Amino acid sequence: MMKKLNFEPVLSTDKENLLRQQVRDFLADYGTIPASEIIDSWTVCDPDFSRLLAKQGWIGMTWPSEYTGANRSYLERYVVIEELLAAGAPVGAHWVADRQSGPLLLRFGTEQQRQFFLPQIVRGECFFAIGMSEPNSGSDLASIKTTAKRVDGGWVVNGSKIWTSWAQVCHYMITLCRTAPVSDNRHAGLSQLIVDLSSEGITIRPIKNMAGEEHFNEIFFDDVFVPDEHVAGKVNDGWSQVMAELAFERSGPERFLSSYQLLEESIKILRQGEPSSQVDSVIGQLIAKLMVLRQMSLSVASQLHEGKLPVNEASVVKDLGTSFEQELPEALRSIISIEARSGAEQGVARMLSDSILKSPSFSLRGGTREILRGIIARGLGLR
Amino acid sequence: MKDLTRLIEESAAKLFESLGQSDNIELMESGTFPLACWEAFKEDGWLQTMLSEDQGGAGLGLAGGCVLMRLAGYYSVPLPVVESLLGIYLLAESGELPNDNLYVPALLNTADEKTIYIQGVPWARHADGVVVVFAGEEGCQLQLVKRTDYQLFEGSNMAGEPRDDISFDSALLMNARSIVSLSIKTVESWLALARAAQMSGALQSVFERTVEYANERSQFGRQIGKFQAVQQQIAVQAELTSAAMCATDAAMLHIETEQEWECIVGAKIAAGEAAGVSAKTAHAVHAAIGFTHEYPLQLSTRRLWSWRDEYGHEAYWAKQLGAYFMQSGTTNLWSNLTQQTA
Repeated sequence: MMKKLNFEPVLSTDKENLLRQQVRDFLADYGTIPASEIIDSWTVCDPDFSRLLAKQGWIGMTWPSEYTGANRSYLERYVVIEELLAAGAPVGAHWVADRQSGPLLLRFGTEQQRQFFLPQIVRGECFFAIGMSEPNSGSDLASIKTTAKRVDGGWVVNGSKIWTSWAQVCHYMITLCRTAPVSDNRHAGLSQLIVDLSSEGITIRPIKNMAGEEHFNEIFFDDVFVPDEHVAGKVNDGWSQVMAELAFERSGPERFLSSYQLLEESIKILRQGEPSSQVDSVIGQLIAKLMVLRQMSLSVASQLHEGKLPVNEASVVKDLGTSFEQELPEALRSIISIEARSGAEQGVARMLSDSILKSPSFSLRGGTREILRGIIARGLGLR
Repeated sequence: MKDLTRLIEESAAKLFESLGQSDNIELMESGTFPLACWEAFKEDGWLQTMLSEDQGGAGLGLAGGCVLMRLAGYYSVPLPVVESLLGIYLLAESGELPNDNLYVPALLNTADEKTIYIQGVPWARHADGVVVVFAGEEGCQLQLVKRTDYQLFEGSNMAGEPRDDISFDSALLMNARSIVSLSIKTVESWLALARAAQMSGALQSVFERTVEYANERSQFGRQIGKFQAVQQQIAVQAELTSAAMCATDAAMLHIETEQEWECIVGAKIAAGEAAGVSAKTAHAVHAAIGFTHEYPLQLSTRRLWSWRDEYGHEAYWAKQLGAYFMQSGTTNLWSNLTQQTA
């Protein structure tokens, strides 16, 4: 039998179950999370909360102990992040550094970079932003115009990046730049530079989104100097590194748990009403999807742990997961008679509002639906 | 699990591929039992796959059986692989000594009437007996009703597989055996899992054919798989096929855990959802040739359309699953869900 996509399921162990309980205890001690932060909580930036997690050893937890990581498995990390996301905890500050920048440095970075950056990330003191999209390069990432020119001892960066979450708070951005002229192979000549966001020549302009938040930004580079020791990986080999990064970025439980608390709260309310087979049906359909998504995402976590880079599988999880997230408020509307209220202090009315207003971004960030499906098609040998 | 799967697939693939040849399937659809195929299947000992070694079996249990059923689904094997394995397994659970007859399972909702009717019993016309399972005071009750003791009204599903209605005298159930340790709910879920396993094989076959065809067929001077509109559809098919296969594998992995039932239900729903989309996309990509009797795509798609309804369709199981979680007291959904992999 041909098997081009691998989703071998995994069973969790006692070790992971114990850890799950520890996270729940931690969250119970932490107290109530404000209603405004619950939906899409991985875009909510709270550096204090990140430092509390760091004290528990829950940032960089899969990284080797030589870089002060906790040397835990990807499945253990999965348990921690899924518990935090399901509760709506504000994990946005360290999210990118923990999820993809750290793993990128572990895989492609120099020893010096690992020694310098990873312990700071683990302590919850160093946050990273993603520097990929540009005003004229969204889905067509290889068309980026930001350049890095060779100078003595380093590179000079000019151009701009956009849709960069929390650039105003983050310390560094792994920035994809063109370092060689465009050739027949348009994926060649790109490099990833670790840009210190406090460098001279950087302007950060927040962009308000339709949900009223200001977490993403446009960043302008005007002759920004980046020293040689801040080149991440190989010069001109940035494309394959970015693709590897995306396996980490696309497969996690944040791709289907952004609106999870809405489901939990809705069930609480529905349980107070008369039993209804229509309610059972809708809830059952949603839970069935959620169960499968968890199994698929766990499977990808297990493959990451084995050192594989399941890029195609990650695209599958993200496309199915964000479809679920977007469907969730729509499906709940058919069985619950509560109108969305943006200003509500708490409850389903508030979460409906947040999850609907934020939902368009779910299938855009980290690669649009069409791009993901294109990647899957390529993996199947159709392109 | 991985080793078990490889072992079973490697040993059975060749035989199953030959059993799934279209002349065998034609024979079955014309109403004749493919006896030579059945003998070959039995000769290799596959009927005893799920039985314990004490019972003269291979000791591979329900999970091992599911691997074989998936393979049968992949090759559209025109035999009661699912039904014969489950029939003999249930009989053995009740303490009856197994033999190599064809026994097929059937669930009964109520045993109160004088004459019992059961609709859509798979392969009943060819079986030596029907293993009738119904609820008992504790656990379930099981009675083997022999072929000579039931009346038969022939029917078939969309794939031409026998799905017969039977009737018999309820007095036959008077001395049914009790299986205290096994609830009717569990038996029902095992049947659903078996069908889901068979479906995941058929889904994989349809998916492979579709990718292969999209890479072969040319229009407008290039392979149709090079068109984005086609790629996007096949990608969705790949996603749902993957979800169904992962859910079924996960259910097999969770057999005999506390989460067995939920995982099985999730698997049957995922397989059912994938079946519709997969068949639709596969036929769209294959266009007219896929609509012909001669082209083998229909062997799998007709089976998928039938199997997604059998042993509970998506809507049935979604309602069951929803009711289960809605009624689990004050426990929040998340603690319930995360036990799933405990």
